[in-house]
Order: sequence, then structure tokens, then C-alpha cells
Amino acid sequence: MFRANRLALAHYWVAFGLFLPAVVLGAWQMLMRSPLPAPLDDSNLYYASVTLHGTVMAYVLTTFFVMGFGYAVTATSLGRPIRGMPAAWVGFGICLMGTLMAASTIVAGRASVLYTFYPPLLASVWFYAGVFLLVGGSMIWVVLMILNMSLWKREHPGAPVPLAMFAITATAYLWVWTASGVAVELLGVILPAAFGMTRQIDAGLARTLFSVTLHAIVYFWLMPAYIAFYTLLPQAAGGRLYSDKMARLVFIMFLVFSLPVGMHHLFADPEHGVGFKFLQTVFTFFVVLPTLLTVFTICASLEIAGRARGGRGWFGWIGALPWREPMMLASGLSLLMLGLGGFGGLINMSYAMNSMIHNTSWVTAHFHLIFGGTVVIMYFAIAYEMWPRLTGKPLRSKTLARWQLWLWFWGMLVTTIPWHIAGLMGQPRRVANFDYSMPLVARTAALVDVSVVGGGILLCSAALLIVILVRSHFAERSAVRRAEPAPTPGLGYALAVYPPLRVPAALNGFALWNVVVFILVVAAYGYPIGQFFFLKAHSAPAYDVTRE
Amino acid sequence: MLLVGLSVVAFALGFLVVGRFRLDGPPLGTFAAFCRSLGLDADLAPASEPQPPLRTPSGVAWTAKTLDFIAAGDATHGAFVAMNCGACHGIDGVSHSALVPTLAGLDAAVIYKELADYRSDKRLWGVMNALAKALSPQDAADVAAYYARLPGGLPAVTGLDRPAGGRSLRQTDPALRLVFAGDPARGIAPCGVCHGPSGYKIGAPALGHQGSDYIERQTAAFATGARANDIDEQMRTIAAQLTPDEMLAVAIFYSAPASVGAPRSRGLVSGF
Repeated sequence: MFRANRLALAHYWVAFGLFLPAVVLGAWQMLMRSPLPAPLDDSNLYYASVTLHGTVMAYVLTTFFVMGFGYAVTATSLGRPIRGMPAAWVGFGICLMGTLMAASTIVAGRASVLYTFYPPLLASVWFYAGVFLLVGGSMIWVVLMILNMSLWKREHPGAPVPLAMFAITATAYLWVWTASGVAVELLGVILPAAFGMTRQIDAGLARTLFSVTLHAIVYFWLMPAYIAFYTLLPQAAGGRLYSDKMARLVFIMFLVFSLPVGMHHLFADPEHGVGFKFLQTVFTFFVVLPTLLTVFTICASLEIAGRARGGRGWFGWIGALPWREPMMLASGLSLLMLGLGGFGGLINMSYAMNSMIHNTSWVTAHFHLIFGGTVVIMYFAIAYEMWPRLTGKPLRSKTLARWQLWLWFWGMLVTTIPWHIAGLMGQPRRVANFDYSMPLVARTAALVDVSVVGGGILLCSAALLIVILVRSHFAERSAVRRAEPAPTPGLGYALAVYPPLRVPAALNGFALWNVVVFILVVAAYGYPIGQFFFLKAHSAPAYDVTRE
Repeated sequence: MLLVGLSVVAFALGFLVVGRFRLDGPPLGTFAAFCRSLGLDADLAPASEPQPPLRTPSGVAWTAKTLDFIAAGDATHGAFVAMNCGACHGIDGVSHSALVPTLAGLDAAVIYKELADYRSDKRLWGVMNALAKALSPQDAADVAAYYARLPGGLPAVTGLDRPAGGRSLRQTDPALRLVFAGDPARGIAPCGVCHGPSGYKIGAPALGHQGSDYIERQTAAFATGARANDIDEQMRTIAAQLTPDEMLAVAIFYSAPASVGAPRSRGLVSGF
């Protein structure tokens, strides 16, 4: 794969290498919140643990995975070496350094502010600087994605950019827009306080800036899953993509619609009036469009595959799909969880209904189901798809992989369904432990116990993932079993039913769409952010969590 | 087009309709609704009923100006001012009396606030009110800076503490439970998140190595309302919920060196 193999593998190993300890922390946190005995039950440790769990899962796992995926997609979909390899390794180094800085600061107990920072809480400057380096280093990846796509376009005038490349470049643009919020928050509000240049933090401004990032980042995490749905899944199922243009449209819609919606995370914040909260609620509903288009297109593509494999009747094609393929199985489970989590999300983003579940465990359960479930299970499937191509050795084994995916699916359901219910019963989030002798709290005890079991299942699944990846990576080449066909180099991408010969310029580039995003972001956030500079001051003394 | 149309409708609903209706009053006019939708509704109408006069618990607010003023305190001049204090608080800032707190190592913001509260009679203790009134705010900032940097007294609160089991609501020892986990059933936050060892808040004194009698007396004073200079009334709320046994247990926990880590250099004289 044109020397991109080592680059992609390095990114994946950082992502999954930190993923396993973060799952261990998650399982312990479940235990800590439960009525069951927990080792090392220290509330302060809980918040440090939540910070590390969140930082690794939300920033490290995702960013490294998407970068690795992007490099692999660039090399394989364009069918030529990546331009700017040295820069890619430099970016990897910067991101890794940032990760180590942030993680070691949290482990030292100097950054228990959770991954969303919660100003005016103030952590050690090393934590913020680490996160900033991680995000900043990933911008090298962004530039390389855009550069590789535009160079290819220049050399192939008029030709449609391969769908996978188009989609990963959309992801890169999305990441720039997404990260802008947290980057400005860090540079403008938090780092000056962390460096001691000011004692005050404008919490309202900081929260609003973070909300620019907070929802769009979810779509950044989700993009590899969608790219796999459109470009890898139809191939794995033995069929074709129903529509290439529809796919392009969906990725553009994600880029456009995921930005001006973040204020639905601030419904209870008093610094904003109802106007922009309502407006962004409506914008949030627009995100349903690409999601539903995807469900339609993917089902249609799978039906093509199922019928080609001999499925008959209205539903017979479903049974005819190759469910023993990890990619197929993971996609099915992922879409199931997307359905459940998506409907929960409709409640979160609805201005009125949100007040029922605001700051309850419902929210935590929701994003675990959507992110930990829908998104991360596709990261596993992509890893299983890519590992043989990247290492040149077969996956050991598909049976274990299926076990791992099923365990993750059931673990996620067993964890999050009772968690949702506990939230509806009023259990607050971000609480280290509960007094189960109180009658109101005691009602949730059994539910929390079930979630603990779910956490245990998830931990087993995560450990199994690492076992499979290590076994596959370090297997002797001679251990290739005859039953397994030798892996083909390069990823195979699904062909569309009607492969595009030409596409409109608007579906082959992002210039127009970046302008649209800019206008939408200004319309949605111009006043909510601008008001802090001339109408309202919300500065509060910074609370240094690690006073020296 | 559909999306643009929907956006226009959303704008009209969000800025002209949703903001009109209030729980606590009649619907607003169009302009007032628009302003409210922008979050500018603080001064739309006068308060409907006359409010009882507020009792301000303290004249100190943690503004940037105040914090900068305290941080700029001159410890050298503070040492001179501190000659007024040594007789009771100890020449080296380490108290030997059950009624009097140790000042060496106490946070400067705490000392400054208590002096301000004594000066304005928000906190009452005869001799301290008289002494504080003789000090200017600058003197108070200076003496606060002096004592805050004086070694040998209270250990610094770092918020960094080696993790240990038993610091949750599973704990059965009443002192440890209150300090590290609080008591949600009574609305009591953990003592330790403001007073150490696990946390720190501006204006809340670190209690580690402070005398147990002093801590117990102050808790009891908050409980009865005899002391009422806690800005958000949190200490009065919490202390009123504590039993005398719990007050004693927490006071002993904080005064016992073993439970809160070693002091910076030489230890406190025990025997409170």
C-alpha cells in the first residue's frame, strides 16, 4: 500500500493501545457509581478517571483512528503514494507528544476537569497544551488530505474524485471547522488563565465556543463509519453501492449541517436567550436528512447484494447477506444501535423535551450508545478489514472477531439501556457515587448493577479486540491457514451501480460548501459569541483544581 | 429552497413567538420578545413585589480586582503589621490556644476576607473587630501575604492527594464519610472539596492541622447563625445539619496530622 502501511498501523496502534486502558477505567467507573463494592473508591480518583477515559475516547482514539484511516484511504483510493509522507510522520509525532502530555497530567491528578474542560475549573497548563498539540498536530493530516485530493484533481481534470477520497476530505474539512471552537476557546480563554495571565475565566464565552466543537465533533467521529457504510460494506456484502451521487450529497450535508447545531448542548445555559436555542434546534433536525438518506442508500445497496446472492422475496435478501463477514455483521449491529441512539438524540435536541433529561444519566447513556456503539463498532470492523491488508497476514480469526463484535453489541445494550432508564428516573450525571440508602436513589440500584455487568462485557470485548489485533499482527507468515485466502493488497472499494463518469463540480469539491458552512456558522454563532464582547461579561474566578 | 424556508420559519418562531410567552407574566410585545430571545431580558419589567432588604454576608466579592489586590500584598510590610497578631496567633503564626486559629500557611484570600468581615462587623469577635478596624485594606492584604508565606504552620492545599480506598459514600466512619463524600441525603457536600485535602475554593480556609477546638467552635457558630459571613450561606446550611458528634469527629479529623499529610517543615504543637 505504497508505504502508507506503517503510517496507518502506527496511528491505529496508538488509538487501540490507549483504548483498552480507557475501557478498563470505564468499567471501574461503572463499579464506582454502583451500590457494589469498588476497589480504590476515591471520589477524586473518579473524576481523574472520567477525565482520562473521556480524553482518550473522544480525542485520542478518534483522532488517531481517523488519521490512520485517512492515510490508508488516500493511498488506496487514489492508487498512488501519499504526497507529503514526512509531514505525516511529523504530525503523528506532534499528536503523540500531545497525547502523552495530556494523559500524564491527568494521571498525575492535575487535570480532573473532564474532557469538556468545564470552565471556570482550571487544570494544569500541561493538560490543555497537550490537547492543543493533539488537535493542532492533526491539522497536518487535514492539509495532507486536502493536498492529496487537489493534486489528484489537477492531474485528472474532469474526473470524479474517488468517493472514499471525497468523503475523507469532507471529514478533514469538517474537522477544521469543528476544532476551530475548541482551539479558540483554548487559545483565547483557557490558556491565558492556565498560564496565570488572568485570574478570571469567562465561562459563558468558553462554553459557547466549546459548543461549536461539541456536536460537530460527533460527526467527525462518525465519518469513518459512514465511509465504511458507503465504500466498504457494499463490497464486503458482495454488491454495489446504490448511488454514488447520493453518497457525495450525504457527506456534503454532514459537513454543512453538523456545524450550526451545537447550542442544543446549552439549552439550560442562562447566557443565551431562547431565539438561537430554538433556531439551532431546527438546524439540528436537518441532520436527520443525511442520516435517513444513508439508511435508505445502504439498505438499497444491501438489497442489491442480497438479491445477487440469491435472496428472494420481500425480506429473503436480508438472510442471504454474508453475516459471517465482520464488516457486514458490525454494520448491521451499528445501524441497530444508530436507530436506538438516534431516537434518544431526537429527545436531547428538542428544546422542550431536553429539560426532562438535561444533566441526567440519560445523556451519558445516549452518547455511549451512539459513539461507543454505532461509531466504535465500525472502527473495529474497519480495523478487521484493514489489518490483513496493512500487515500482509490474515485476520486471526474471523470467528473471534464475530465474538468480539457481538460482545461489544450486547455489552453496549446491557450497559446503556438501564443507564437511560436511570437517567429518566432522575439520576444525575458527573456524580462519583450515590447514596443508595436514600429511597429516591435506591430505585436505580438494580439498574446500575445491570450496567456494571454491561461494563464487564465491554471490557472483555475490548480485551478480545487487542488479542485479535496482536495475534494477527505478529503472526508468522507461515501461519497463514489454507482456508484463508491470501489478503489482497489495497482496500477494495465498492463500485456504484452506475459508476460516475462525470459529476457536477459541486459534488467533486468543497469550495462552495465551505462558503455555505461559513455563512451558517456566522448566522448561528455570530451573535451568541459576539454578545460576550459588548453586552455581557460572565467572568468568574478560575478554580484551579491543582493549586500549587 | 425548502431548507431556506424552514430556516426563515424557525427564525420567526424562535425570535418572535417562543420568546413572547412566560411562566411568570403576561405575553410580551414583539420588540420585548425579540430582545428576550437574544437573552436580553434582565430589565424588561420591575420586580412584581417589593423584596425584603438583603443581608449581605460579606463585603468581599471575588472579582479580578480584589484577587489582584490581595496577590499584590507586600509581605515585608505585612510582617510589621503582624506584630499586632503574634500575642494570640503565635509569634510564628502557629496558635497555641484553642480559641485562636493558626495563620501561618493560611491562604492570603482567606485572611484578607476575614479581616474585611471583622472590619465591617460581618463576623463578630470583639478583639478582632477592634484590631481589624485599625487596619486599612492595604494593611490587610499585606499581613495576609505575610502569613500565607510563613512556613511551619498549615500545609499547603494542593488538591493532589494519593488516591485511597474508602473515600466514597461506602465509608462508614462518619468523619471520613463527611470529609470525602459528604451526605447527599442531607444536602451536605464533602468538606474536603473546599477545605482540603482533595480540593480548594477561593475564600475557604484549608483546615488540615488547624486546631480541633477552633474548627468545632466555628462549625457550631455557623450552625446557630452566630457566625454568618459565608458568602453563599453554604456553611450555615451544612453546619445546621450536622450533629455535635459529627462536628467533633470532623474537627478531630482535620486537626490530626496523620490524616491530612505532613506539614511543610516543623509540626504543629499538638495538644488541642
